[in-house]
Amino acid sequence: MEKAGISLRNVGLTYRPRGKEPFEALRDITLDIRDREMFAIVGPTGCGKTSLLLLLSGILTPTTGEIAIRGGPVAEARARTEFGFIFQDPVLLPWRTVLGNVRLPLEVTKYDKARRDARCQELLAFVHLERFADAMPHELSGGMKQRVAIVRALAHNPSMILMDEPFAALDEITKRRLHLEFLEVWQREQKTAVLITHDLYEAIFLADRVAVMTPNPGRIKEVLPVDLSRPRTLEMRESEAFVRRARAVRQILEG
Amino acid sequence: MAAGARRTPAEVLRDLWEQYGPPLHFLVLVVVLWEVAAWALRIPDWLLPPPHRVARRFLEARNLWLHTRVTLSEALAGFALSALVGPLVAAGIANFKFLERGVFPYIVLANAVPIVAIAPLLTVWLGYGIAPKIAVAMIITFFPIVTNTARGLTSADYRIIRMMHSLNASGFEIFRKIQVPTALPYIFAGFKISLSLSLIGAVVGEFYGGGDKGLGYLITVTAAQFDTPLLFVAVGILAVSGVGFFQVTALFERRLIYWATQDVAEQR
Repeated sequence: MEKAGISLRNVGLTYRPRGKEPFEALRDITLDIRDREMFAIVGPTGCGKTSLLLLLSGILTPTTGEIAIRGGPVAEARARTEFGFIFQDPVLLPWRTVLGNVRLPLEVTKYDKARRDARCQELLAFVHLERFADAMPHELSGGMKQRVAIVRALAHNPSMILMDEPFAALDEITKRRLHLEFLEVWQREQKTAVLITHDLYEAIFLADRVAVMTPNPGRIKEVLPVDLSRPRTLEMRESEAFVRRARAVRQILEG
Repeated sequence: MAAGARRTPAEVLRDLWEQYGPPLHFLVLVVVLWEVAAWALRIPDWLLPPPHRVARRFLEARNLWLHTRVTLSEALAGFALSALVGPLVAAGIANFKFLERGVFPYIVLANAVPIVAIAPLLTVWLGYGIAPKIAVAMIITFFPIVTNTARGLTSADYRIIRMMHSLNASGFEIFRKIQVPTALPYIFAGFKISLSLSLIGAVVGEFYGGGDKGLGYLITVTAAQFDTPLLFVAVGILAVSGVGFFQVTALFERRLIYWATQDVAEQR
């Protein structure tokens, strides 16, 4: 039987900067992230969340333990360009139009030339930016730029989206609207999504399961399922189930 | 972009006046004061000629255009050589560690040597013609172009580079699609500095390089003969040329990389 998802077994990571004390960033992380799951990792700054994301994408290799993606090594998934990235800032290329930015991954992965622009238009329509295809990034608001960044991560049709605080730089109202839009896109595109965030309400609202991390060294304290139905609505944020979940996560974070 | 679209001639005039009005006012004030001071204090022409004497000398002087053309050609030729070679060297330094560590220190060292110390040597090597002047202009313009370009090539956001790597982009693809466009504003910054320096280079080359043409040559001769009005003319032409160089680069910059200057424009 072919193995699914992302699996981490006793993963540890120790940085050894030259001339400085070694620093243990992560210890004994064991996790199973299912295919097409939205998996959130919450924790305070400095708990190794970003390091964990770098391990998952093969930018860093674990010091101890093993990571497998669909039963194979990370490097293979990487070679198949199965990762899409969304960062805290949009990091768009200012000299390219909105469409040109979304098209970048398609150009690099040699996506069928004739279908490139159609694919970009389709993605931009998901986030209601089809009319801005020819706009330059500096003409967009922060929320619009981040929406471009979201669909850029999806353009080459990766199986996994890795997100590092993707909504952290947005104001509360924009953030909530983007949450809903992102969920819609995610459901349509059927991706495994790993969401790093320090916002526990965001984690609960978006994710199927929430892993809570604690620092020094970074460890997974607990993984909690979120028993909210899909599609998620903003009203759910005030529901009793949501509040109960939030309280549980908060209590773990506060130790 | 949008700013240049559909303006009436009256609006264009008003914008020009807004930009050039204040410095023009100031110029008129200084010229009048200077004229009055030279007359009232009876300052001799060889010491500080009043503006009207400089203006008359400008109209009388012969071969001015020839001297100007020679100096500007030397400056632009030197700049052009740097603008061609500099970015290539910078690309090497930015992408290959051993070049950065092995070659860059010598570029810094060469730049640290005062240009006037090299100029006589270049004359010994290249003779009294135009070549040593071009060489001086090239040497003086090389460093800002190399350093600015190298800095631009290495200043792309690390996250976008990471993303490109995760897409299996080749090094050349990252260079072409990310690094080079990122570097363009830096390259232009280098060009602006270098174009001003190129005039210094050409004039210094003429000071130390013999020959009988160019504004630098004209300045040496007029200073020796106490023909101070003509010396002022030569200096004035250099100043105007320098500003012209700068403005032309700024124009290209606005056209080619408007996306990079947009932030500045938005702050007004």
